[in-house]
Amino acid sequence: MLVPEFVPQIFCSLYLPAIYTGFIVGFVGLVGIAINKSDIHVLILTDIVGLAMLIVVGAVGTDLAEALILPGLVVELAEILAISEILISREMRKKGKSSSLLPTPYVFDMEVMTTAPNFLSLLLIGYGIFLTGFTGGVVAGGGILLYVLSRKAKGLPIVLIDGIGAISGIAWCLWIVGFLLFFITPDLWLLSLFLAACGLLLKVASKMGLIGTLMREEFKRE
Amino acid sequence: MDLGSLGGDLMGIVPLGDIVLYLTPLHLFMFIAVLTFTFLIAISRTETQVEASFGDLKDNELKVGLAEFKARRFLAIICGIATAGAMITGDLFNFILFVALTGVVNVGIVSAVKQIDVLDAAFQYGLIAMMASLPLFGGGAIILAATGTLSFFELAKFTSNSMVLFGSTLLLIGVAGETGIAPFFATKAEMFRTPGSPFILIIHLSSLFMIIRAIEILLVIIT
Repeated sequence: MLVPEFVPQIFCSLYLPAIYTGFIVGFVGLVGIAINKSDIHVLILTDIVGLAMLIVVGAVGTDLAEALILPGLVVELAEILAISEILISREMRKKGKSSSLLPTPYVFDMEVMTTAPNFLSLLLIGYGIFLTGFTGGVVAGGGILLYVLSRKAKGLPIVLIDGIGAISGIAWCLWIVGFLLFFITPDLWLLSLFLAACGLLLKVASKMGLIGTLMREEFKRE
Repeated sequence: MDLGSLGGDLMGIVPLGDIVLYLTPLHLFMFIAVLTFTFLIAISRTETQVEASFGDLKDNELKVGLAEFKARRFLAIICGIATAGAMITGDLFNFILFVALTGVVNVGIVSAVKQIDVLDAAFQYGLIAMMASLPLFGGGAIILAATGTLSFFELAKFTSNSMVLFGSTLLLIGVAGETGIAPFFATKAEMFRTPGSPFILIIHLSSLFMIIRAIEILLVIIT
């Protein structure tokens, strides 16, 4: 038995049902794909097969399996985005029309955009920095996004910071360096932990900010 | 199976905790070969397809625009680097990721073309690649569950059981679907009819090299 002694027996016995669940879900998805003839339905059903993959990987339940889940999810998302983009461009070529990134105009008539967005975004960014890591990055990025959107909603000018994507890339390198230090010198675990956590915070937060700059272009277009 | 008997003499190992990198002449040769091909593809220009038309004497030239050319060259280089990484990696996890990356990039290389038939083929290939990620990642996870490691250096020491065999079978199906070889080639065949030859060729090249490495990996795991 590979599983350590302190793991309860019930967790080990859950592995087989979880694997079966995954394969049954995948099989159901494949049957659906075989029956269906519409391209968009096939695309959506294919995502079910991808979810079944997550179940099969998640059934293992170790940290290595978790390391497999995250890239698996990212690959799934990247593929479904790419394929849906191909589907859209094929249909557009058939019809001879073109379409923009967001076909319908975005208008946010929400009270939060005009009352206290600055305080809220400050709170979100502060809490995100306190959290660090992936979660903190998402929270802080949400704060940046709220700030950009609220300024746009109030009709104020937005300071353009080009190259915010470069911050994301450089911060990602911090993460990689932290990871490498873990392997090469395990004694410096605290330093590498903080390098990884803060690098990931900066990376994810600036990525979310990048979404904000993208939204800026499309927002309030009539 | 012993690592040395498959890929030649073991040239050295780099132990990094869980991850043990190792180098054999076979891997080194394939790595350098893929990088050379990638370099040749990166510096080359695209071909111009000439289509003869029925009924008259005109020829129809199909050219690739500059923006499309640049995007395709970038994706072809990424594809080559991913293939080279899969050749030299000593970890099943990395291999799975590189295979998945080539699957995504292969769809990307043909995604900007104008022919509807080719887009149709790319759509079908993308669907198969997405479905194949279930056996690919699932096979890796089952091997991980059965042996407790993903490093080939450790996997070579394990005697195989039925669970490892099942995981390896799934892995083979996954690699076949993701690279679009034999049972799934029908989805991919039409993709090569678009102009822009050297960049299209790396789709073929990557799948050939991937399948060689996949078979070596399966031999290491099973026997």
